Amino acid sequence: MTLTPSTVLTEPLQATPAPPPSQSPRQRTRPALILSLLLRKLGAAAVVVWAAASLTFLMQALLPGDRATMLLNQQTGQVQERSAEELAPINEMFGFTDPLLVQYLSFLGGLLRGDLGVSYQLLQPVTTVIGDQIAPTVILTFSSLAVAWAVALVLLVLTARRVGWVSRLFSGFEAAAAALPQYWLGIILLVVFALGLGLFPVVGGEGLIGLVLPALTLGIPLAGFLGQTMRTEFERTLDEPFVLTARARGMSDTAVRIRHVLRHALLPGLTLTGWAIGSLFSGAVIAENVFSRPGLGGVLVDAVNGRDLPVVCGVVMLVALIYVIANLVVDTAYVLVDPRLKLTH
Amino acid sequence: MGAAALLSAAVLTSCGSASGLVSTEQVAERQPTGEPQSGGIIEYGHLQEPKCVYGGWIQENFTARQILDSLVSQDNDGEIVPWLATDWEVSEDQLVWTLDLREDVSFTDGTPVDAEAVAYNFDSWLDGGNGTAAAHLGGFYEDATAVNEHTVEIQLSAPFSPFLSTLSQSYFGIQSPTALENRSAEENCRAPIGSGPFTVQAWESGQYLEFARNEDYNSAPENAKHQGPAYVEGIRWSFIPDNTSRYGSLLSEESDAVGEIPAVNIAEAKERFDFEQYITPGRPVVINLNTEKGVFTDQQVRQALSFATDREANIESAFLGTVPFEPSGYLSQSTPAYDAEAASEYPFDLDRANELLDEAGWTERAEDGTRIKDGERLEVLFTYGLNTIVTPDGNTAIQNFQEQARAAGFDIQLRPLTPSENSSGAFSGPDAYDAQVGYWTSPHAGILNINYRPGTEEAPNGANTTFLVNEGVYETIQQALQAPTSEEVAEHFSDAQHQLSELAPAIGLYTQTNTIAVSDSLAGVWLEESQGSPVFHDAYFVTDESGADKSDAEESTEEEG
Repeated sequence: MTLTPSTVLTEPLQATPAPPPSQSPRQRTRPALILSLLLRKLGAAAVVVWAAASLTFLMQALLPGDRATMLLNQQTGQVQERSAEELAPINEMFGFTDPLLVQYLSFLGGLLRGDLGVSYQLLQPVTTVIGDQIAPTVILTFSSLAVAWAVALVLLVLTARRVGWVSRLFSGFEAAAAALPQYWLGIILLVVFALGLGLFPVVGGEGLIGLVLPALTLGIPLAGFLGQTMRTEFERTLDEPFVLTARARGMSDTAVRIRHVLRHALLPGLTLTGWAIGSLFSGAVIAENVFSRPGLGGVLVDAVNGRDLPVVCGVVMLVALIYVIANLVVDTAYVLVDPRLKLTH
Repeated sequence: MGAAALLSAAVLTSCGSASGLVSTEQVAERQPTGEPQSGGIIEYGHLQEPKCVYGGWIQENFTARQILDSLVSQDNDGEIVPWLATDWEVSEDQLVWTLDLREDVSFTDGTPVDAEAVAYNFDSWLDGGNGTAAAHLGGFYEDATAVNEHTVEIQLSAPFSPFLSTLSQSYFGIQSPTALENRSAEENCRAPIGSGPFTVQAWESGQYLEFARNEDYNSAPENAKHQGPAYVEGIRWSFIPDNTSRYGSLLSEESDAVGEIPAVNIAEAKERFDFEQYITPGRPVVINLNTEKGVFTDQQVRQALSFATDREANIESAFLGTVPFEPSGYLSQSTPAYDAEAASEYPFDLDRANELLDEAGWTERAEDGTRIKDGERLEVLFTYGLNTIVTPDGNTAIQNFQEQARAAGFDIQLRPLTPSENSSGAFSGPDAYDAQVGYWTSPHAGILNINYRPGTEEAPNGANTTFLVNEGVYETIQQALQAPTSEEVAEHFSDAQHQLSELAPAIGLYTQTNTIAVSDSLAGVWLEESQGSPVFHDAYFVTDESGADKSDAEESTEEEG
């Protein structure tokens, strides 16, 4: 089945997303370009992380209620007001009665020394708490991303601009997948594939087989997003003159799709991936909860529930950092994917 | 104590009597030889993760029960039986308790379990080490002294009749003083050192606690089913917060036992597994009314709300009939000295509710039906800790309550609280709510003293969440605590419940329950009597599956206190 475009478009090449602004008309050497890019990104990263930490600190510290009371009540399962006597040792231990500014400065000072403080609830250093739980979340995040890309790419190459109804059907699938609530999807996968068919464990744990359903839970909706985003670009590129040229050279349809068209469609997908990594990190809590997986999501929820400020700040800063790094990587990937960026030197 | 006789009797006949334990006959059926197997790791799925392995919270009590021994235990009839203490007596004035301790027990760090160790524990609980222990014994405890190596004397400042019952809770588990003294708070929190059947091997936050068998264990309570070390090598105590996953892990045989069976699965769990339900004694889940500020300072308005709704039908529908309705706002039906007559004084009676409100002067009605008095609407700010104090099913019950109370002219504004809001103290004082939901587990009616002792300037009582100050009630409770015989204790507590019922500071909703479902491959799990913690010391894996016929499984006989 060969494709016969009904119209010959003469759209200019700029139809693809605008390249990053770093591509100035002035010619720069490649190392200088990369160094300036890196410096700006690092500066931005520091600001983002500092802002995230400060906002979290203020919000957690200014919420109504007393932190020492809360810690004491959570240890005893009670909800009552506490006497000054009962609270004194806790206030002493964590410095809750110091002026807020002093607390904030000592918090910032700690950050500069790489000290994230000690969890109020777990009585462990925050770096230990995060360090213990980060690996499963990273593994889950990147597995989900891999699932999402694999599904999106396969569907895209196979179905875009095929017979009208095929393309529309799969485009519809993508829209539906993108709209699936993760919690609901997770429960359905759990009930069907783990409880019903017994193909996977109900309690995920850390093993590879236990990773499949959680990764699908997060990966399927993301595949929908990615597919939708790339499909538009993919289909437009199919109408480009160079596609016609390639076909005229006798290239097969699949080869044209993979070697020429896909490259264009990857760019919006890559952009979305920068956002998706951060989003997957915060979405991980759902999969972690449903499949009883270890990870940072559960740590964050517990910490927010217990207003465990050092842990909340630590996780928020980490997620901010991951956003920044992911976007840095995406920008670099742009240079690799879009050949026009290479032409600048 | 005749350990050998006890062992065989325990294995063959199990625990009997009024307990919620349902597995008795199945155990016998599956185990024709009566010889429990040794070995294996129990996979147990639990809902909530504790903050520490021991402490003052019920979740901490569950884990503490596996690693700490207490001084005494309660058997299934509520009788106090020996544990670390073999014998005890109280002085004539009821102020000095003398406990004789076993002489052959050591903590897992080698420290002997002696009188000094026990005295050290009492001091550390009351000295801020355990808020719940302090709530129970505070105001009564003077000091503890070692009379000789194995005899300890506890001096009280006033008689306290539920003393032994109090000590049977895992909050009062005895820890190694060496460990308490020499290790950090964090180490003791995460892996306390006791003399119990298991020790903490590992704790992966958010995932599981691993318990390993204490190979030298020789101090099971008299009501245990066997003496000596546990049959199993350990327990993997997983935290599985999601209801579908937790119960599902039992169905898929990934767990050998799970707790907190969701209401929708209880019928099936009774059919397929050994299912146990424990009705927690103490204060049930009740609506506390603020008697210090707002509309509920008027006794008639409190009584009117108590009459205004059909709570029984409400609870039946919200919990699909799986959790008992509790009419009493003060004690749950499994608490000794529970007075059923006092509990039933507020049946659903809308006419009576309307009459009382009319008498109280709330005669006008706004367009939406809310009653008005002197231009003020009969509005109630109703707070509750969602998913901490109140389960999703309980949330349904509260919404039903709000809807039903509308007929009498109450405009109830619900304010669910997040866990951090709920425990922060900002929603706890007399200015913070008109009505609030709470429960408090306790094996005895002395809980009334915790909940209804009026707070004073010097000794504030945060646990008095109705803020009720009533001399008569307080004195009656003190008489009960000081009464010399259990008949008199019950009489005074009964009197106190009638007085409270008249004052109507609280409205009963449902009982707090613990449930556990155990797979056919595991036998001998029981829920202990003081708090309903699961006990795995007597549990063992059944290798012979021929006798396990699920269709013949006995249905649960729910426990009556």
